[in-house]
This record gives sequence, structure tokens and C-alpha cells, in this order.
Amino acid sequence: MEIGPIYRALMRNRLGVILIAAQIAFTLTVIVNAVYIINDRGELMARPSGTDEANLFFINNIGYGDTYNEAVVSAEDLDMIRQLPGVTAATIINAIPVSGSGSSTGMATVAGRIEGVVPTAVYTVDEQALSTLGVELVAGRDFTATDVRYRNDSIARGDNEIIITVAMAEALFPGEGMQAVGRTIYDVNQNASVIIGLVARLQAPWPQSSFVENSMLIPEVYIDNSAIYLVRTEPGQRDRLMVEVEERLAASGHSRILRNNRSLEERRAESYRIDSAMSTILVAVIGTLMFITAMGIVGLAVFSINRRRKQIGTRRALGATRPDILRYFLLENLLISTVGVVAGAVLAIAFNLFLVQNFDMSRIDWYYAPAGMVVLLILGQLAVIGPAISATRISPALATRSI
Amino acid sequence: MFLYYIRLSLLSYKRNPVLSSLMVLAIAIGVGAYMVIFTLNYVMGGDPIPHKSSQLYHVQFDYGDPAFTDFEPPPQLTYIDATALLQATVEHPRSASSKFVAVLEPPGEELRPFYVNGRGNAADFFPMFDIPFQYGGGWDRRADDTQQLVVVLSNELNERLFGGANSVGQTIVMDGLNFTVSGVLDRWSPAPKYFDVNNGAFDPMEEAYIPWSLIVGQEMRRSGNTNCWKAFEGNSFQAFLNAECAWIQFWVELNTADEHAEYLNFINNYAAEQKQLGRMPMQIEKRLYDVNEWMILNEVQPDETRILTALAAMLLAVCLLNTVGLLLSKFLGKSSEIGVRLALGAHKRSLFTQHVIEAGVIGALGGILGLGVAALGLEGIRILLGDMMTNDWMQLDLRVTFITILLAIVSTILAGMYPIWRACNINPASHLKTQ
Amino acid sequence: MLKMNQINKVFRTEVVETHALRNFSLHVQEGEFVTITGPSGCGKTTFLNLAGLLETFTSGQYVLDGEDVSRLGDYQRAKVRNEKIGFIFQSFNLMPDLNLFDNVDVPLRYRGMRAAERKLRIEKALDSVGLLSRKNHLPSQLSGGQQQRVAIARALVGEPRFLLADEPTGNLDSNTASGVMELLHEINAAGTTIIMVTHDPSLATQSHRNVHILDGQVQSDNTNHVKAA
Repeated sequence: MEIGPIYRALMRNRLGVILIAAQIAFTLTVIVNAVYIINDRGELMARPSGTDEANLFFINNIGYGDTYNEAVVSAEDLDMIRQLPGVTAATIINAIPVSGSGSSTGMATVAGRIEGVVPTAVYTVDEQALSTLGVELVAGRDFTATDVRYRNDSIARGDNEIIITVAMAEALFPGEGMQAVGRTIYDVNQNASVIIGLVARLQAPWPQSSFVENSMLIPEVYIDNSAIYLVRTEPGQRDRLMVEVEERLAASGHSRILRNNRSLEERRAESYRIDSAMSTILVAVIGTLMFITAMGIVGLAVFSINRRRKQIGTRRALGATRPDILRYFLLENLLISTVGVVAGAVLAIAFNLFLVQNFDMSRIDWYYAPAGMVVLLILGQLAVIGPAISATRISPALATRSI
Repeated sequence: MFLYYIRLSLLSYKRNPVLSSLMVLAIAIGVGAYMVIFTLNYVMGGDPIPHKSSQLYHVQFDYGDPAFTDFEPPPQLTYIDATALLQATVEHPRSASSKFVAVLEPPGEELRPFYVNGRGNAADFFPMFDIPFQYGGGWDRRADDTQQLVVVLSNELNERLFGGANSVGQTIVMDGLNFTVSGVLDRWSPAPKYFDVNNGAFDPMEEAYIPWSLIVGQEMRRSGNTNCWKAFEGNSFQAFLNAECAWIQFWVELNTADEHAEYLNFINNYAAEQKQLGRMPMQIEKRLYDVNEWMILNEVQPDETRILTALAAMLLAVCLLNTVGLLLSKFLGKSSEIGVRLALGAHKRSLFTQHVIEAGVIGALGGILGLGVAALGLEGIRILLGDMMTNDWMQLDLRVTFITILLAIVSTILAGMYPIWRACNINPASHLKTQ
Repeated sequence: MLKMNQINKVFRTEVVETHALRNFSLHVQEGEFVTITGPSGCGKTTFLNLAGLLETFTSGQYVLDGEDVSRLGDYQRAKVRNEKIGFIFQSFNLMPDLNLFDNVDVPLRYRGMRAAERKLRIEKALDSVGLLSRKNHLPSQLSGGQQQRVAIARALVGEPRFLLADEPTGNLDSNTASGVMELLHEINAAGTTIIMVTHDPSLATQSHRNVHILDGQVQSDNTNHVKAA
């Protein structure tokens, strides 16, 4: 079967070709960009926070009344939690990684200098922070109980010793981040902070932030009657302990309110909810579009075959075999689809450029458009196969009938 | 004749049920998906208070330090500027506002103490934003000045504390302080929370409203964003108040162009004075934003909805292209009927009417099914977003229903224009001889 | 009644010009029953299409019922078709998804008649072809002969001045065909002019007058003295 006659026949029905080709082009545009966005979000969501997320949960403890003494109560609470069977470690912390809320500051390598300040998340924690979070210390030392200071809003933070992430060290001391231990950096209030340790990775509380990998741990407990207990458990013990810890804290008799008893996994899902919702919506859009386009191809193929029944009968009478007829329609569809996917590839790249210019997105990788083209060519062939098979069943006797 | 054509359309539908149903389905999906995004945009990007949005202005100052790289001036105000503006703005309704959290100890023994999210705001806040009351009302400016312990409860909190009864005059205890209830709000949950887009524009509403002066006067526990760009001078609460820390929203109501010009002048002079004092070293383009400008500046509408809008438009385009093709098949498949009708005395205009109505009927069916698609889609998004989105703000109201069906009919007829034109210009002679 | 003078109909494509009718002239008197015969491709279908105002012609004059219809616009032509001409086709051309009543109703709809009058006329027309009792049936439930009777009822319901019939018995067996021919003669006897295109020479002899067309021109025009049975 030659392409020539098919092509010439198609040129006499340009509108039909344009209609299907345009559908395929738009479909390709949407699919390529949607798949790209899905992958992009997927990578975003797949970034590790650096913590042992599966085995972590936290609970917010707020004390009230004149007799409530947070320093005493929190020490008591942490003691109790740490002794529960199944608990690996527990710490008191000001914010939860990837939770969306926390505190940040800027650190400079020279006191008082604003230029080149490195933004960072601030975690104030006690000495069990690293073992609780499950982050890996790659240089220097961990906090000890004697490092931890208690303060309230009438006591200044002052000079201190800190642990930071490798990413932050690299931002502060480009090229020599791993040698940051022992060096001193300064916050906006010109407090000197000596770096005593580096952790491989610990994300900031804000997954969308530009400095998500910059974190700083300060051994400090801030007394304002509001504390978060972060608890790490042995595998499989988390859900049971979430209930038990809350029950025990509630039963301990202090005037307090317990809120937000959540696992880190749950919190992470909430933080990335828009991203995962977006991905799900896009999958639905892709599926719908492919369905609609396939149905359009089927509809028009059935119509065009019905219109050409007699012609097909004549071809059969002239000796065309069933595979010949099948091949004719597959080839015809391939021609139309090719026009569509070529136009679509151009459109897809144009739309991607629009996204790059207007939103915080990067260019698509080169292989997206060709891959999309192949998928749609296959979709077209699959859609036309049903009507084409029915065309092969047209009797050659049709050629001799006048009606 | 209209009903006759409707009947013919339905008969024609029955003749090619598969082809016709494909069209209805394509239109339903295209229009339905578009309406889901329309509703999202309508909610997230629409004017939340159309009758007043150009009278309510938020103030922004030239905060920050040019030495910081990539530092965007924070949208809120410092304590110093907020109090200065409050004092200087006498003639116009205005309000400072910020969030707090407090432990609420309920009256009686049945309820345990719980945490409430509250808002400090000035007396004018309630009339400025047209906030509806179920019982009682707000307070007056004197209560702001004297830091009176009054509170307005949300409908839900009043339900929880007093079973929904009129609680005006009752006392509640927050952070150990005795507040007198001055009013209870009716149900009120605008989305986005356009009066506070800096702390989660789709977060749940606050439950208790107190004079903003109390947040400072009683050192309530503040919540919401705080942005500082300069070291504190000291460690006291006063040091924080004096610091370059933006944490207060400031709204003013300006009803005429003159008022706006006059106030803008005042704000500009104020900024100039502060610059002379060595503050506000940044340079910003604009210091007064109305509600819609403020929402755009603060990027209330997520990128996602804008990307989805473009994708939904393309989905609709594909569905309509599909419809053009299928309608063409359908109408050309009726060539012999059209030929007979022409022979029997139909003229082009009546054929045109007949086919416009036929396309319209298919569009209407698509629209009705599209409502179902839209409802499903919105429900799906509701499930996907979970409790991130509060309340019942996403729903198909009468307006959306009307627009959906209209969009379906109009777009189908437009898609049908070429097929209809072809159908009307069929040469009858060539279709009468054989079938 | 029908006067065609010097009609030419030329079909043009990019490469060829086909003269379907050349200098074609024909006059038909009121009340005549004329058969048109001729071999395939002689132009008889073109004649029928022109006579029925389904197509326009290249040059010449056509006067129908005293009115020059040569240069009418689409709207006027549709009106003439609707009011003065009744069509009967070889393949009946009933609308498959309309029942008999609605099929006969079609021309009246385009005339904008009130519902009560339409009903009266439709039932009278269906009664005259003996199918009133089946008015709610679909065409597919009828035999070929019955379908053609419905088509005749549809052609007559608007009380046209003349009927154009294109091989009305071509798809029918001979028994049924003679029934249909009988019906056409009755209609003619009642005063309606009939022009019938056929290739069946035996039918041609049953009419008042037989016109034979060859190569787009009238080759012979004979008046039959044999009155049909």
C-alpha cells in the first residue's frame, strides 16, 4: 500500500484532517506539560527531610494558670516519655520540619554585616535532638545536657554553640563547608554562634522556601508555656505511643492543653497537599483528554468508513485483501496523527515556555515531546483499529449494488 | 415550530445514539472541567467584597534593608507605624489587626479549657468589612483607647460555649482575663480571608475578636507572621515593639477619590519623615493598595489554579474540536433527509434554525451532564485538599449552574457553525436519487 | 402550466464541461400526465431537478403556473416547492425516525399552518392512500408499496399544482407497482398534473404523452391515445 494515494485522498478532505490533527496537537500539549509538572512535583515531594519520618510524632503542650512552671513540667514530661517502652528518644523543639510553621533568621560570617547573610531555619532543641530527629552527624560533636540553656523573653539569647546542616555550612563558607566546625557565625543581634557540629541533612519547616536545606539547631529551651514534644519510636510503635503519650500527659494533672498530636508522615502529607492534589488532578486531565481524543478519532473514523462503504467494497472487488483495507486505515490515521503530533510538539514547547516565563518552572527535558508524540501515535492507531476492522468486513458485493 | 425542532433534535439523537452520546459526553467533560476551574478561580481570584473592594486600602511601607539580597518588603506594619497611623487617622474608618492565641477557660465544669485563635482589631474593623452580627455588636473607639476587656465571639465559639444562646453581657476567661461578650457574629467565612492574606488566605476564621490595643497592653500571645530586619535594642517587650518588626495589618476605608488622594499624600509625607529619621531605606512603588490589588500583590491565587485554567481551556478546545467533527459527521450523515426537506419546501433559514436547535439541544444535554461532571470534580478537589480548605465555599450555586448550561449551549452552537453551514448548503438533487 | 424555453444546464469541473441539457424546451399543459424516458445520462434526472427547482440552470427561461421562476432566490424557490410541487422518489425518501403522520406533516410545517388544519389535511391524505389506520407506525414497519403510498400522501397533502415522480415504481415488484400507478392515475384524473421520469417503456405507454430525451434534448414527443386501465 502506498502513501501517495492515501495522502491525495486526505488532501481532498482537509477539514477532517485538521480537526483530528488539532485535537491531537492540543492533547499532546496538555499531556507533555502535565506529565512534566507531575514529575516536577514528584521530585519536590520526594526530597528527604533528613529525619526518621516514619517513626516520629509530636504533640503540642500549652500550660496555663499562675502555678504552671514550664521548666519543671517539661522536664517531668520528657522523663516520662523517654522511659516509655518503645520510645527511642524525645526532645522539646520549637518547630517541626516540613510542617509549614517555624522560625527563621539570617546568619553572617562577619558580625554586623548584612551583605551575604545566609537565611536559615532555627530549631531550638535539647540534647536529644539529633537522636530524636534521626539526622546524621557528619562532623563535630552532638549537644550534651550541659549545653542546653533555658530562657524567656527577658533573657537575651547571647553567644552560643550550634549545629548546622552541611548545605548551610556550604552557603556560609563556599567550598569549605565540611571544615565549618569550630568557626563562628553571627545572627542579626550580633550574637556569636560557634559551629560545633554538622548534620548531613535537615530540612526547614517550609518546603516551598528557597533555603529549605538551611537549618540551624540551638541548644535552648524557650519558656513561654508552649512546647512541642517530638518523639521517636521503635518501628511499628508510633501509633500506639501517640495515644499513650497523650493519655499520660493528660493524666499527669497539670493545667495544660494538648493539641496537634500528629505523626510527621501525616504532617508532611498536609504540607504537600496542594502538590499531590495538583498531580492527581493532572492525571485525571490526561486520562480524560486521551479518552476524548480517542473517542473523537473513533467517531470520525466510523463516519468516514460509512461514507466510503461502497468505495471499500469496490476495492475489495478489485482484489484488496482484508489486511490491505486494515492497513489503509491505519496508515491514513498515522498520516493524520503525524501532522497532529508535529504541530503538538511545537505547541507543547511554546506552552512550556509560557509556563517558564510566568511561573516558577524550568524548561522541559528534551525527551518529553518525542515521548508524547510516540504515545499519541500509538493512541491513534489503537483508536482506529476497531473501525478499521469493521471496514474489512464490508462485502465486495457492495460494489455491484446500486443502493 | 420551536417545539417541533426540539422534537426533531431528540429523534435525531435517537438515530445515532452513540455518536450523539459521544458529543454530549465530550461537551459535558469539557464544560464540566472548565467550570471546576472557573469555580476555583471565582473563589480564589474573584472580588471578595465587590461593593467595597475599591474603598478599602491596605498600607505598605518601604521596609527592609537594601543590603539584603532578595529581600521583599514585608506586607505588614511595625508597631511604631501602626500606632502612628491609628492616631493620625481620625476621620476615616481604620483598623490595625493581628492574630493571637489564648487559653480559654469555659464557664461551668462541663468543658475543659481549650485554645482559641483570636484576632485583635480596632472598633472600625466590623463596619469596614461588613461583618454580620447575630447578637449585640462590636465596641467603640473609646474601648480601643481604654483597652476595655470586651470580646466578639464567632458563631461557632458561641455555639460551643453558650449553646448558641444570646451571650451578650456574659463573661469569658481568656489567658486569665475576664472578657465581657459584646457581640456574637453571624456565620461569616469569606474565602479568601481578604482582610488577612498574610497568614494563610484560606485558613480557618478566628473565633474571638478583641480590641487590638489589648494585644500589646496585656501582652497576649501573638500568632501570625512576624518579619524583622534589624537587631533589637534590648530584650524587653518594649524593645520588640520599638523594633523594625512587621506584624500588624492596617486597613483604612477611603470613600472618594479626594479622600484617597489626601490620604495617599499623608502616607507619603509620613514615609518621607521616617526616611529623614533614617528609617525605611527601601524604595517601593506604591503605598496604598485596594483589596484586589492587595490580593494580587500577595499572590493569594495559587499558581496552580492559573496553570489549571490554561489546561482546562485547552481541554475545552479539544472537546469542542471533537464536537465540530462529530457534528459534521452527524449532519452530513443526514444529507438525504436534508435533501428531502429541501424538496418538500424547506428553505435554508428553516434548515439553519433546525440545526442550530439540534446543536443547542446537544449542548444543553452536555451542560446538564457537565453540571454532574463539575460537581464530581469539585467533590474530588474537596477530597484532595481535605481540611486545608475550610467550610462550604466550593459549591455549585445557581449562578454557576446557569453559566455552565449557557456555556455548553453557546459553545456547542459555535462549534456547530461550520457543520450547520455545510448542512444548509447541501445540494438536494444529489441526495435524493439514492439512499 | 410548465414552460421551459431554451434551457441550458452546464456542469463545470476543472477539466471538463458537461452539457446536461442543451436548448431544452418543453411545455406541459394543466392536467396532463407526462412520462419522460431516455437512457442513463441523457439528462432526465437533470430535467427533474430543474423542474422541481432543486437546481438552478445556466441559461433559458422557466415559467411555472404563469410565474417566471428562472431567477428566484432560495427563499422564494423553497416557497414554490412547498406550495406548488409534490415530489415522489424511487426510494421513497421517508424520514425513518418520523411516523407516518409526522412524515406527511413535513411540508405543512414549512407552510406554517395551524395544528388543527394540519391534522385534518394529513388524515385526509393518509386516508386517500388507505393508510390512515397506521398513522402512528414508522416507515420501516411498512412494505415498499405502502411506503410509496405514504410518500404520495406526503406529496399531495399540500395540494400542489403538479407532481414530479422519479421512477416511483423502480423499487417495487410489478403487482405493487401497478397499484401505485393506479393511484397516480386517480390523482391525475382528479386534476393534478403529473410528470414522471421512468426508464420502463411499458409505463411510458400508460400516460397521455411520452417525451423521450437524448443527449440533453427532446428527441421525440408523442401523445398516447391509449388511456390507462
